[in-house]
Amino acid sequence: MKIDIINKYYKNKDVIVREIEGEYLMIPIASGIGDMEDEMYTLNETGIATWEKLSSEKTLETVIDELCEEYDANKQEITTDVIGLIEELFKRKIVLC
Amino acid sequence: MIENENIASVNLPDSDLVKKLQRTKTPVSINFELTARCNNNCRHCYINLPENNTDAESLELDINEIEDLADQAVNNGVLWCLLTGGEPLLRDDFSEIYLMLRRKGLLVSVFTNACLINETHVKLFKKYKPRELEVTVYGITEKTYEKVSGIKGSYKLFKNGLDRLLTNDIPVSLKAMAIHSNIHEIENIADFCSKHSKKKFKFDPFLHKRYDGDEKRNKKILSERLNKDEIVKIEQNNFARKNALIKSCDQLIFYQDIDASGRVFTCGVLKNGFEISYDGKLRLCPALLHPDYVYSLRIFSLMDAYRKIAENIIKARSYNEDFLNKCNKCKIINLCYFCPANSFLETGKLDTPIDTFCKNAHARQKAILEWKKSSSLS
Ligand code: SF4
Ligand code: SF4
Repeated sequence: MKIDIINKYYKNKDVIVREIEGEYLMIPIASGIGDMEDEMYTLNETGIATWEKLSSEKTLETVIDELCEEYDANKQEITTDVIGLIEELFKRKIVLC
Repeated sequence: MIENENIASVNLPDSDLVKKLQRTKTPVSINFELTARCNNNCRHCYINLPENNTDAESLELDINEIEDLADQAVNNGVLWCLLTGGEPLLRDDFSEIYLMLRRKGLLVSVFTNACLINETHVKLFKKYKPRELEVTVYGITEKTYEKVSGIKGSYKLFKNGLDRLLTNDIPVSLKAMAIHSNIHEIENIADFCSKHSKKKFKFDPFLHKRYDGDEKRNKKILSERLNKDEIVKIEQNNFARKNALIKSCDQLIFYQDIDASGRVFTCGVLKNGFEISYDGKLRLCPALLHPDYVYSLRIFSLMDAYRKIAENIIKARSYNEDFLNKCNKCKIINLCYFCPANSFLETGKLDTPIDTFCKNAHARQKAILEWKKSSSLS
């Protein structure tokens, strides 16, 4: 499915994110999340900032606007980045819509 | 393949994060002995109390206490968690405890005898797979299994429980204890385990003495211990074990005496893991029961208790000449069951060389060097 910024994407509650030694580790706890059994993911600063803002209450566009304001960055660049990230997370059921 | 730079997949065991964690000074795993009670009554068991022992049950940590300790561990970067016992599935609140720990982002493994596995556990483990589900196989015939477990009907329960896991594609690791009561079928046990397990078959011939010092039970344990020739023989007969010993020969047998300068602890005990007893005491090694190294977590926080034990470990020195001249310099300590914890369990002191351990270690050294020589010749 194509990612559309008018949709509301939210975190799968069966994925836990922990900050350990300055790294953000995503730990899927239920079967069927991610590509492979036992696989985990790390997020960088932009990744975690996006993840933290995701909510079933707001559209992805709102998330992008908030990020632009916070980081004082170009909307086009942020949009491309965020859509790319959500694509990866959505196809692994780490975020839901 | 991930095509976005904000996210990367990690294979945890080989990751930089784990390497970073391993360099930290404190443990990265926490092990909860959820209960000392067990539905079995194995001849060699160092811990079990009867399943209906209400005194032991009343001392067990409740789920809130476990959660509080897990929070403290998570805040200190702990990643791995093991649930063991006794038999952890004896606890009515096992599923809640398991899920609560998973939801904290701990990578949880479970050790069980599989006898109590029911449909609720199957559903739980299917949806929330444990990192590792390790089942001990005491025998693969009713007679042997029940001779070890001491409970009539336990073999059937074990087989049913294991079948439930396997038919539901829940991966298990199978292992065995090698003892006098099952040594006659240890090779069949090995075949059975290799056939059904996702991991290489492991067996352990070393039996700890009882944690509660029960003399009658200790006699039984001693009668189950294999002697040096039996240990060498089963290691020789197990291809994988023999090869692993040959390969790691240089780490197991040093060329020169070591210099531990009187330090009692020369092992990695400070980083092993937080070992939490069923009644809420912290140890840094499950068998290290000397009172200087056990602190109640009902009184102290996890890190305060850890620091107190660590301090005592770092400053522990021996003045026993026998120990200083033997174990403290020993080239083959890595082949020996001697360690301060086992020394304390065997003799009541942390630094007493133990004659049978010494004989076993020397017999294993001789055998491994011979195997190594003949494997390099061939
Ligand atoms: S099943 Fe395990 S805990 Fe239970 S009695 Fe046997 S060895 Fe002990
Ligand atoms: S008991 Fe013997 S083999 Fe074992 S550590 Fe001591 S000296 Fe070495």
